[in-house]
Amino acid sequence: MSRRPPRGEYIETDTGNKVARKATLVGTQNIMLGGKTVIQPEVMIRGDLIRSIQSSSSSASGAAPNNTAVSIGRYCFLSRGCCLRPPGRLYKGAFTYMPLRMGDHVFVGPGSVVQAASIGSHVHIGARVAVGEFAIIKDYVRVLDGTVIPPNMVIPSFSIVAGQPARLIGEVPEGGHEAFELRDLYKTVGNNPQPAPS
Amino acid sequence: MTSYCRPAILSPKVQQGESKQSFPHCIKQPCSFPKIPQGRLLKSQRKITMSSKRHSIVPPVSQSGPKPPVQFSSSITISDSALLTGTNLIAISSESVIHPRAKLDSLAGRINIGRRCVVHERSVVGAVGTSGRITEAAVTLGDYVTVEVGASIEAGDTVIGDGTTVGVGAKVGAGAVIGKHCTLTPHTEIAAGEVVPDFTVVYSNGLRRPDRRGIAELKNKGQIRQIDVLRRMIPSNPAKFD
Repeated sequence: MSRRPPRGEYIETDTGNKVARKATLVGTQNIMLGGKTVIQPEVMIRGDLIRSIQSSSSSASGAAPNNTAVSIGRYCFLSRGCCLRPPGRLYKGAFTYMPLRMGDHVFVGPGSVVQAASIGSHVHIGARVAVGEFAIIKDYVRVLDGTVIPPNMVIPSFSIVAGQPARLIGEVPEGGHEAFELRDLYKTVGNNPQPAPS
Repeated sequence: MTSYCRPAILSPKVQQGESKQSFPHCIKQPCSFPKIPQGRLLKSQRKITMSSKRHSIVPPVSQSGPKPPVQFSSSITISDSALLTGTNLIAISSESVIHPRAKLDSLAGRINIGRRCVVHERSVVGAVGTSGRITEAAVTLGDYVTVEVGASIEAGDTVIGDGTTVGVGAKVGAGAVIGKHCTLTPHTEIAAGEVVPDFTVVYSNGLRRPDRRGIAELKNKGQIRQIDVLRRMIPSNPAKFD
Protein backbone atom coordinates (compact mmCIF):
# COMPACT_ATOMS: atom_id res chain seq x y z
CA MET A 1 0.00 0.00 0.00
CA SER A 2 1.27 3.43 -0.86
CA ARG A 3 2.22 5.46 2.12
CA ARG A 4 1.78 8.68 0.24
CA PRO A 5 -1.49 10.42 0.86
CA PRO A 6 -3.83 10.32 -2.11
CA ARG A 7 -3.50 13.23 -4.47
CA GLY A 8 -6.40 15.57 -4.07
CA GLU A 9 -7.97 17.64 -6.76
CA TYR A 10 -6.29 20.73 -5.37
CA ILE A 11 -2.76 21.65 -4.43
CA GLU A 12 -2.95 23.41 -1.08
CA THR A 13 -0.03 25.64 -0.25
CA ASP A 14 1.30 26.80 3.10
CA THR A 15 -0.27 30.20 2.62
CA GLY A 16 -3.67 28.59 2.09
CA ASN A 17 -3.91 28.88 -1.65
CA LYS A 18 -5.95 26.14 -3.25
CA VAL A 19 -4.88 25.60 -6.80
CA ALA A 20 -6.62 22.97 -8.90
CA ARG A 21 -4.31 20.53 -10.62
CA LYS A 22 -6.33 21.00 -13.76
CA ALA A 23 -5.74 24.74 -13.87
CA THR A 24 -3.44 26.02 -16.60
CA LEU A 25 -0.99 28.48 -15.16
CA VAL A 26 1.56 29.63 -17.68
CA GLY A 27 4.64 31.36 -16.31
CA THR A 28 4.01 30.65 -12.63
CA GLN A 29 7.12 32.53 -11.57
CA ASN A 30 5.39 35.75 -12.58
CA ILE A 31 2.13 35.05 -10.76
CA MET A 32 1.80 36.28 -7.19
CA LEU A 33 -0.91 34.87 -4.98
CA GLY A 34 -1.64 36.68 -1.73
CA GLY A 35 -2.84 33.59 0.09
CA LYS A 36 -6.19 31.84 0.65
CA THR A 37 -6.93 32.16 -3.02
CA VAL A 38 -8.92 29.48 -4.80
CA ILE A 39 -8.11 28.60 -8.38
CA GLN A 40 -10.63 26.15 -9.76
CA PRO A 41 -10.04 23.65 -12.59
CA GLU A 42 -9.74 24.91 -16.16
CA VAL A 43 -8.74 28.37 -15.05
CA MET A 44 -6.03 29.88 -17.21
CA ILE A 45 -3.61 32.55 -16.04
CA ARG A 46 -1.08 33.97 -18.46
CA GLY A 47 1.89 34.80 -16.29
CA ASP A 48 4.24 34.54 -19.25
CA LEU A 49 3.04 37.82 -20.70
CA ILE A 50 5.37 40.03 -18.75
CA ARG A 51 6.24 43.64 -19.18
CA SER A 52 8.77 44.06 -21.92
CA ILE A 53 9.59 47.68 -21.11
CA GLN A 54 10.55 48.48 -17.55
CA SER A 55 9.24 51.69 -16.07
CA SER A 56 11.87 54.44 -16.02
CA SER A 57 11.96 54.64 -12.22
CA SER A 58 12.92 51.02 -11.66
CA SER A 59 15.44 50.86 -14.48
CA ALA A 60 17.19 53.97 -13.18
CA SER A 61 17.67 52.55 -9.71
CA GLY A 62 19.25 49.44 -11.16
CA ALA A 63 17.10 47.12 -9.05
CA ALA A 64 16.19 43.69 -10.27
CA PRO A 65 13.36 43.98 -12.77
CA ASN A 66 9.98 43.26 -11.31
CA ASN A 67 8.46 40.79 -13.69
CA THR A 68 5.18 40.15 -11.93
CA ALA A 69 2.54 39.75 -14.60
CA VAL A 70 -0.46 38.91 -12.47
CA SER A 71 -0.81 39.69 -8.78
CA ILE A 72 -3.76 38.50 -6.80
CA GLY A 73 -4.70 39.44 -3.24
CA ARG A 74 -6.14 37.31 -0.45
CA TYR A 75 -9.39 35.36 -0.55
CA CYS A 76 -9.85 35.65 -4.27
CA PHE A 77 -11.97 33.06 -5.99
CA LEU A 78 -11.34 32.19 -9.62
CA SER A 79 -14.20 30.02 -10.87
CA ARG A 80 -13.98 27.23 -13.38
CA GLY A 81 -13.01 28.22 -16.89
CA CYS A 82 -12.11 31.83 -16.27
CA CYS A 83 -9.03 33.39 -17.79
CA LEU A 84 -6.77 36.13 -16.45
CA ARG A 85 -4.32 37.76 -18.79
CA PRO A 86 -2.32 40.93 -18.47
CA PRO A 87 -3.37 43.72 -20.84
CA GLY A 88 -1.00 44.81 -23.58
CA ARG A 89 -0.62 48.02 -25.54
CA LEU A 90 1.80 50.22 -27.39
CA TYR A 91 3.81 52.31 -25.00
CA LYS A 92 6.45 54.77 -26.22
CA GLY A 93 6.42 53.17 -29.64
CA ALA A 94 6.91 49.61 -28.46
CA PHE A 95 4.43 46.95 -27.47
CA THR A 96 4.36 45.88 -23.86
CA TYR A 97 2.16 43.96 -21.51
CA MET A 98 1.32 45.61 -18.21
CA PRO A 99 0.73 43.83 -14.91
CA LEU A 100 -2.78 42.82 -13.89
CA ARG A 101 -3.40 43.66 -10.25
CA MET A 102 -6.24 42.31 -8.25
CA GLY A 103 -7.18 43.21 -4.66
CA ASP A 104 -8.65 41.00 -1.94
CA HIS A 105 -11.99 39.17 -1.98
CA VAL A 106 -12.38 39.27 -5.73
CA PHE A 107 -14.76 36.74 -7.21
CA VAL A 108 -14.39 35.93 -10.90
CA GLY A 109 -17.31 33.96 -12.33
CA PRO A 110 -17.09 30.93 -14.61
CA GLY A 111 -16.04 31.58 -18.19
CA SER A 112 -15.04 35.19 -17.64
CA VAL A 113 -12.04 36.71 -19.35
CA VAL A 114 -10.27 39.43 -17.40
CA GLN A 115 -7.72 41.71 -19.06
CA ALA A 116 -8.10 44.62 -16.67
CA ALA A 117 -5.25 46.83 -15.53
CA SER A 118 -6.47 46.83 -11.96
CA ILE A 119 -9.31 45.41 -9.94
CA GLY A 120 -9.94 46.72 -6.44
CA SER A 121 -10.99 44.74 -3.39
CA HIS A 122 -14.38 43.14 -2.82
CA VAL A 123 -15.32 42.95 -6.46
CA HIS A 124 -17.80 40.44 -7.79
CA ILE A 125 -17.48 39.59 -11.47
CA GLY A 126 -20.27 37.36 -12.74
CA ALA A 127 -20.23 34.53 -15.26
CA ARG A 128 -19.15 34.98 -18.90
CA VAL A 129 -18.01 38.54 -18.40
CA ALA A 130 -15.41 40.04 -20.69
CA VAL A 131 -13.34 42.71 -18.99
CA GLY A 132 -11.57 44.74 -21.65
CA GLU A 133 -7.94 45.67 -21.69
CA PHE A 134 -6.83 48.32 -19.21
CA ALA A 135 -10.22 48.58 -17.56
CA ILE A 136 -10.00 49.74 -13.95
CA ILE A 137 -12.52 48.41 -11.49
CA LYS A 138 -12.54 50.05 -8.07
CA ASP A 139 -13.68 48.53 -4.76
CA TYR A 140 -17.08 46.99 -4.00
CA VAL A 141 -18.23 46.68 -7.59
CA ARG A 142 -20.69 44.11 -8.82
CA VAL A 143 -20.46 43.12 -12.48
CA LEU A 144 -23.50 41.13 -13.58
CA ASP A 145 -23.40 38.03 -15.81
CA GLY A 146 -22.62 38.42 -19.49
CA THR A 147 -21.36 41.99 -19.20
CA VAL A 148 -18.84 43.28 -21.72
CA ILE A 149 -16.65 45.93 -20.14
CA PRO A 150 -14.99 47.91 -22.92
CA PRO A 151 -11.26 48.59 -22.88
CA ASN A 152 -10.05 51.47 -20.68
CA MET A 153 -13.34 51.80 -18.79
CA VAL A 154 -13.09 52.98 -15.19
CA ILE A 155 -15.81 51.70 -12.89
CA PRO A 156 -16.22 53.68 -9.66
CA SER A 157 -16.63 52.11 -6.23
CA PHE A 158 -19.99 50.74 -5.07
CA SER A 159 -21.44 50.51 -8.56
CA ILE A 160 -23.36 47.75 -10.27
CA VAL A 161 -22.71 47.41 -13.98
CA ALA A 162 -24.28 45.30 -16.73
CA GLY A 163 -24.84 45.25 -20.47
CA GLN A 164 -22.90 45.10 -23.70
CA PRO A 165 -21.10 47.48 -23.47
CA ALA A 166 -21.21 47.84 -19.71
CA ARG A 167 -23.26 50.64 -18.22
CA LEU A 168 -23.76 51.68 -14.66
CA ILE A 169 -27.16 50.38 -13.66
CA GLY A 170 -27.17 50.96 -9.94
CA GLU A 171 -25.32 51.21 -6.70
CA VAL A 172 -24.52 48.71 -4.01
CA PRO A 173 -27.05 49.44 -1.25
CA GLU A 174 -25.96 50.50 2.19
CA GLY A 175 -24.93 47.46 4.19
CA GLY A 176 -24.73 45.45 0.97
CA HIS A 177 -20.98 45.18 1.16
CA GLU A 178 -21.21 42.21 3.53
CA ALA A 179 -22.14 40.05 0.55
CA PHE A 180 -18.70 40.53 -1.01
CA GLU A 181 -16.90 38.58 1.74
CA LEU A 182 -15.43 35.39 0.34
CA ARG A 183 -14.11 33.75 3.51
CA ASP A 184 -17.00 31.30 3.71
CA LEU A 185 -16.77 30.43 0.05
CA TYR A 186 -13.08 29.70 0.47
CA LYS A 187 -13.86 26.97 3.00
CA THR A 188 -16.31 25.21 0.70
CA VAL A 189 -13.70 24.10 -1.83
CA GLY A 190 -10.46 22.20 -1.60
CA ASN A 191 -9.45 18.68 -0.82
CA ASN A 192 -11.64 18.42 2.26
CA PRO A 193 -14.35 20.96 1.67
CA GLN A 194 -16.70 22.05 4.39
CA PRO A 195 -20.35 22.69 3.71
CA ALA A 196 -21.38 26.29 3.38
CA PRO A 197 -22.86 27.70 6.58
CA SER A 198 -26.55 28.16 6.09
CA MET B 1 18.21 8.67 -4.23
CA THR B 2 17.35 9.80 -7.68
CA SER B 3 18.34 13.26 -8.66
CA TYR B 4 14.90 14.26 -9.61
CA CYS B 5 15.08 17.74 -8.35
CA ARG B 6 17.33 20.35 -7.04
CA PRO B 7 16.39 22.61 -4.20
CA ALA B 8 15.25 25.87 -5.62
CA ILE B 9 16.59 28.95 -4.01
CA LEU B 10 13.78 31.15 -2.91
CA SER B 11 13.56 34.06 -5.24
CA PRO B 12 13.86 37.59 -3.89
CA LYS B 13 10.19 38.01 -4.63
CA VAL B 14 9.33 35.77 -1.76
CA GLN B 15 10.89 38.11 0.65
CA GLN B 16 8.84 41.02 -0.51
CA GLY B 17 6.08 40.52 1.97
CA GLU B 18 5.28 37.94 4.56
CA SER B 19 1.99 36.96 3.15
CA LYS B 20 2.93 37.26 -0.49
CA GLN B 21 4.61 34.25 -1.80
CA SER B 22 5.85 33.50 -5.19
CA PHE B 23 3.86 30.68 -6.51
CA PRO B 24 6.13 28.02 -7.89
CA HIS B 25 7.88 27.42 -4.66
CA CYS B 26 4.76 26.39 -2.86
CA ILE B 27 3.55 23.67 -5.09
CA LYS B 28 4.86 20.39 -6.04
CA GLN B 29 5.15 19.52 -9.61
CA PRO B 30 1.94 17.97 -10.79
CA CYS B 31 3.13 15.60 -13.41
CA SER B 32 6.40 13.71 -13.48
CA PHE B 33 6.70 11.64 -10.40
CA PRO B 34 9.48 12.28 -7.97
CA LYS B 35 10.02 9.20 -5.96
CA ILE B 36 9.85 10.80 -2.59
CA PRO B 37 11.22 8.20 -0.23
CA GLN B 38 8.35 7.75 2.16
CA GLY B 39 6.16 10.74 1.70
CA ARG B 40 7.37 11.70 5.14
CA LEU B 41 9.02 14.94 4.20
CA LEU B 42 8.08 17.87 6.31
CA LYS B 43 6.00 20.49 4.64
CA SER B 44 8.80 22.98 4.73
CA GLN B 45 11.16 20.53 3.14
CA ARG B 46 8.70 19.71 0.48
CA LYS B 47 8.36 23.30 -0.39
CA ILE B 48 11.86 23.62 -1.61
CA THR B 49 12.31 20.24 -3.17
CA MET B 50 11.03 21.23 -6.50
CA SER B 51 12.63 21.53 -9.82
CA SER B 52 13.86 25.02 -10.36
CA LYS B 53 13.26 24.45 -14.04
CA ARG B 54 9.52 24.29 -13.76
CA HIS B 55 7.92 27.52 -14.74
CA SER B 56 4.32 26.58 -15.36
CA ILE B 57 1.71 24.11 -14.38
CA VAL B 58 0.22 23.12 -17.61
CA PRO B 59 -1.81 19.95 -17.50
CA PRO B 60 -1.10 17.83 -20.56
CA VAL B 61 -3.23 18.68 -23.54
CA SER B 62 -5.34 15.82 -24.71
CA GLN B 63 -4.50 15.11 -28.28
CA SER B 64 -7.79 13.67 -29.38
CA GLY B 65 -8.39 12.86 -32.99
CA PRO B 66 -5.99 12.56 -35.86
CA LYS B 67 -2.83 14.57 -36.28
CA PRO B 68 -3.25 16.90 -39.24
CA PRO B 69 -0.72 17.55 -41.99
CA VAL B 70 0.76 21.00 -41.52
CA GLN B 71 2.45 23.59 -43.66
CA PHE B 72 4.21 26.15 -41.50
CA SER B 73 6.28 29.09 -42.50
CA SER B 74 9.64 29.04 -40.76
CA SER B 75 8.99 32.36 -39.03
CA ILE B 76 5.82 31.46 -37.13
CA THR B 77 5.53 31.20 -33.36
CA ILE B 78 3.42 28.34 -32.14
CA SER B 79 3.23 27.26 -28.53
CA ASP B 80 3.65 23.54 -27.98
CA SER B 81 0.46 23.45 -25.96
CA ALA B 82 -1.56 24.63 -28.93
CA LEU B 83 -3.98 21.98 -30.14
CA LEU B 84 -4.00 20.95 -33.76
CA THR B 85 -6.39 18.25 -34.87
CA GLY B 86 -8.11 17.15 -38.03
CA THR B 87 -7.42 15.40 -41.29
CA ASN B 88 -6.88 18.26 -43.69
CA LEU B 89 -3.99 20.63 -44.17
CA ILE B 90 -3.36 23.44 -41.70
CA ALA B 91 -1.32 26.19 -43.34
CA ILE B 92 0.10 29.05 -41.30
CA SER B 93 1.86 31.89 -43.11
CA SER B 94 4.82 33.89 -41.96
CA GLU B 95 5.12 35.57 -38.57
CA SER B 96 1.77 34.43 -37.22
CA VAL B 97 1.48 33.60 -33.54
CA ILE B 98 -0.55 30.78 -32.03
CA HIS B 99 -0.94 31.08 -28.26
CA PRO B 100 -0.99 28.11 -25.87
CA ARG B 101 -4.28 26.18 -25.83
CA ALA B 102 -5.57 27.66 -29.05
CA LYS B 103 -7.31 24.98 -31.05
CA LEU B 104 -7.12 24.60 -34.80
CA ASP B 105 -9.37 21.89 -36.15
CA SER B 106 -9.17 20.88 -39.80
CA LEU B 107 -11.61 18.00 -39.64
CA ALA B 108 -14.06 19.79 -41.93
CA GLY B 109 -11.54 21.15 -44.41
CA ARG B 110 -8.35 23.06 -44.87
CA ILE B 111 -7.40 25.86 -42.45
CA ASN B 112 -5.48 28.78 -43.89
CA ILE B 113 -4.00 31.37 -41.60
CA GLY B 114 -2.52 34.46 -43.22
CA ARG B 115 0.53 36.48 -42.38
CA ARG B 116 0.97 38.12 -38.99
CA CYS B 117 -2.17 36.74 -37.43
CA VAL B 118 -2.48 36.28 -33.68
CA VAL B 119 -4.66 33.44 -32.44
CA HIS B 120 -5.16 33.72 -28.69
CA GLU B 121 -5.62 31.01 -26.10
CA ARG B 122 -8.76 28.90 -25.97
CA SER B 123 -10.04 30.09 -29.29
CA VAL B 124 -11.27 27.49 -31.73
CA VAL B 125 -10.59 27.95 -35.41
CA GLY B 126 -12.50 25.46 -37.51
CA ALA B 127 -15.05 24.38 -34.93
CA VAL B 128 -17.23 21.69 -36.43
CA GLY B 129 -20.68 23.18 -36.14
CA THR B 130 -24.10 21.72 -36.52
CA SER B 131 -23.92 21.41 -40.30
CA GLY B 132 -21.02 18.96 -40.27
CA ARG B 133 -20.34 19.40 -43.96
CA ILE B 134 -16.85 19.11 -45.34
CA THR B 135 -15.56 21.81 -47.64
CA GLU B 136 -12.39 22.60 -49.51
CA ALA B 137 -11.32 25.48 -47.28
CA ALA B 138 -12.97 25.30 -43.88
CA VAL B 139 -11.64 28.55 -42.49
CA THR B 140 -9.51 31.20 -44.16
CA LEU B 141 -8.02 33.96 -42.05
CA GLY B 142 -6.56 36.89 -43.99
CA ASP B 143 -3.44 38.78 -42.94
CA TYR B 144 -3.22 40.66 -39.63
CA VAL B 145 -6.25 38.90 -38.16
CA THR B 146 -6.58 38.72 -34.38
CA VAL B 147 -8.69 35.98 -32.87
CA GLU B 148 -9.07 36.77 -29.18
CA VAL B 149 -9.49 34.57 -26.12
CA GLY B 150 -12.23 31.99 -26.36
CA ALA B 151 -13.53 33.07 -29.76
CA SER B 152 -14.88 30.40 -32.02
CA ILE B 153 -14.89 30.31 -35.80
CA GLU B 154 -16.96 27.54 -37.30
CA ALA B 155 -15.79 25.55 -40.29
CA GLY B 156 -17.44 25.63 -43.71
CA ASP B 157 -15.94 28.15 -46.17
CA THR B 158 -15.73 30.79 -43.45
CA VAL B 159 -13.60 33.76 -44.42
CA ILE B 160 -12.22 36.43 -42.10
CA GLY B 161 -10.82 39.42 -43.97
CA ASP B 162 -7.49 41.16 -43.47
CA GLY B 163 -6.99 43.16 -40.29
CA THR B 164 -10.18 41.96 -38.62
CA THR B 165 -10.38 41.44 -34.88
CA VAL B 166 -12.64 38.70 -33.56
CA GLY B 167 -13.31 39.68 -29.94
CA VAL B 168 -13.27 37.69 -26.72
CA GLY B 169 -15.77 34.86 -26.80
CA ALA B 170 -17.25 35.90 -30.17
CA LYS B 171 -18.75 33.26 -32.44
CA VAL B 172 -18.60 33.26 -36.21
CA GLY B 173 -21.01 30.82 -37.86
CA ALA B 174 -20.20 28.44 -40.71
CA GLY B 175 -19.86 30.07 -44.10
CA ALA B 176 -19.89 33.62 -42.77
CA VAL B 177 -17.75 36.08 -44.68
CA ILE B 178 -16.31 38.89 -42.58
CA GLY B 179 -14.84 41.80 -44.53
CA LYS B 180 -11.54 43.53 -44.07
CA HIS B 181 -10.66 45.57 -40.99
CA CYS B 182 -13.83 44.72 -39.11
CA THR B 183 -14.11 44.60 -35.34
CA LEU B 184 -16.32 42.00 -33.73
CA THR B 185 -16.62 43.09 -30.10
CA PRO B 186 -16.66 40.50 -27.30
CA HIS B 187 -19.52 37.99 -27.27
CA THR B 188 -20.71 38.99 -30.73
CA GLU B 189 -22.43 36.24 -32.65
CA ILE B 190 -22.36 36.20 -36.43
CA ALA B 191 -24.93 33.80 -37.91
CA ALA B 192 -23.98 31.12 -40.41
CA GLY B 193 -23.61 32.40 -43.95
CA GLU B 194 -23.83 36.05 -42.98
CA VAL B 195 -21.77 38.60 -44.91
CA VAL B 196 -20.25 41.52 -42.99
CA PRO B 197 -18.92 44.32 -45.22
CA ASP B 198 -15.45 45.85 -44.84
CA PHE B 199 -14.81 48.31 -41.99
CA THR B 200 -17.77 47.27 -39.87
CA VAL B 201 -17.90 47.30 -36.11
CA VAL B 202 -20.35 44.79 -34.69
CA TYR B 203 -21.18 45.64 -31.09
CA SER B 204 -23.79 45.45 -28.40
CA ASN B 205 -25.15 42.09 -29.47
CA GLY B 206 -25.63 42.72 -33.16
CA LEU B 207 -25.68 46.49 -33.74
CA ARG B 208 -23.41 47.62 -36.55
CA ARG B 209 -21.71 50.79 -37.55
CA PRO B 210 -19.02 51.64 -40.08
CA ASP B 211 -15.49 52.21 -38.77
CA ARG B 212 -14.40 55.58 -40.15
CA ARG B 213 -11.37 56.06 -37.94
CA GLY B 214 -9.03 55.16 -40.78
CA ILE B 215 -6.51 53.49 -38.50
CA ALA B 216 -6.13 50.22 -40.36
CA GLU B 217 -2.50 50.93 -41.18
CA LEU B 218 -1.71 51.91 -37.62
CA LYS B 219 -3.36 48.81 -36.28
CA ASN B 220 -1.24 46.69 -38.58
CA LYS B 221 1.88 48.39 -37.32
CA GLY B 222 0.77 47.75 -33.75
CA GLN B 223 0.25 44.12 -34.60
CA ILE B 224 3.82 43.86 -35.90
CA ARG B 225 5.13 45.25 -32.63
CA GLN B 226 2.96 42.89 -30.65
CA ILE B 227 4.21 39.92 -32.63
CA ASP B 228 7.80 40.99 -31.99
CA VAL B 229 7.15 40.84 -28.27
CA LEU B 230 5.15 37.61 -28.37
CA ARG B 231 7.86 35.89 -30.31
CA ARG B 232 10.20 36.44 -27.39
CA MET B 233 7.64 35.39 -24.76
CA ILE B 234 6.05 32.30 -26.21
CA PRO B 235 8.41 29.36 -26.55
CA SER B 236 7.81 28.14 -30.07
CA ASN B 237 7.86 24.52 -31.01
CA PRO B 238 6.70 24.02 -34.57
CA ALA B 239 8.59 20.74 -34.80
CA LYS B 240 6.07 19.11 -32.47
CA PHE B 241 3.34 19.35 -35.08
CA ASP B 242 5.28 18.00 -38.07
